[in-house]
Amino acid sequence: MGLGFMVGVLGVLFLFHAAYSTIQGLLKIMEEEFSGPPMNLLLGFVFCISAALTVPGYFLSIHPDSEENRIVSLSANLDFMIFNHRAKALPLETDMKLKH
Amino acid sequence: MAGQGDSSSSEKKSKEVMNDVSTFRAENLQNNMKVVYYSRTFLSIIGGAIAGILGLTGFMGFILYFIVMAITSIGLIAKAKFSLHSYFDCWNRIILDGFLGGLMSFVLFWTLAYDVVHIF
Repeated sequence: MGLGFMVGVLGVLFLFHAAYSTIQGLLKIMEEEFSGPPMNLLLGFVFCISAALTVPGYFLSIHPDSEENRIVSLSANLDFMIFNHRAKALPLETDMKLKH
Repeated sequence: MAGQGDSSSSEKKSKEVMNDVSTFRAENLQNNMKVVYYSRTFLSIIGGAIAGILGLTGFMGFILYFIVMAITSIGLIAKAKFSLHSYFDCWNRIILDGFLGGLMSFVLFWTLAYDVVHIF
């Protein structure tokens, strides 16, 4: 994550450098077609592409039966919380009758 | 184990017969769509800056936008390791989504960079 971010910043810096060279008139882009400026621009563009594809993170699989999707954890729902308490030591009343 | 039973945390949606996978994890699909949207927005901004620096005007700028979006699509498909169906449910999501939203950012940064570099 940090490396991809640095690569992106580097690409943007290349673009700034190309823009500055164009302003100063060092790269005359308007007259010629494909020689000087695209070198700087192309390098910056390639760095930005690689940063844009690595910074956001990985793709996660959407199949429900792939390897990393097998274990599903419930959210913190009160109905399903299990506490290890001592009620298991109480006698179990299996013979309950309705009181009338 | 827990995959087939309760699924209260991963909301599964069923789609029509048109898709191959009938149920899938929607939260992972949302995460993938966020990644695609982020990449497209960033690259459309960079493409706009490049179009401004190059001094493109008129139709040529939009040609550059389509080229940048095509490169983005190819890059995203390569990031998904060419097996698109394990990360998305249909092809349109990775190819067409975010196309028009990026166009606005592209034009904004295109005019900004053109003004800064060539006029100001």
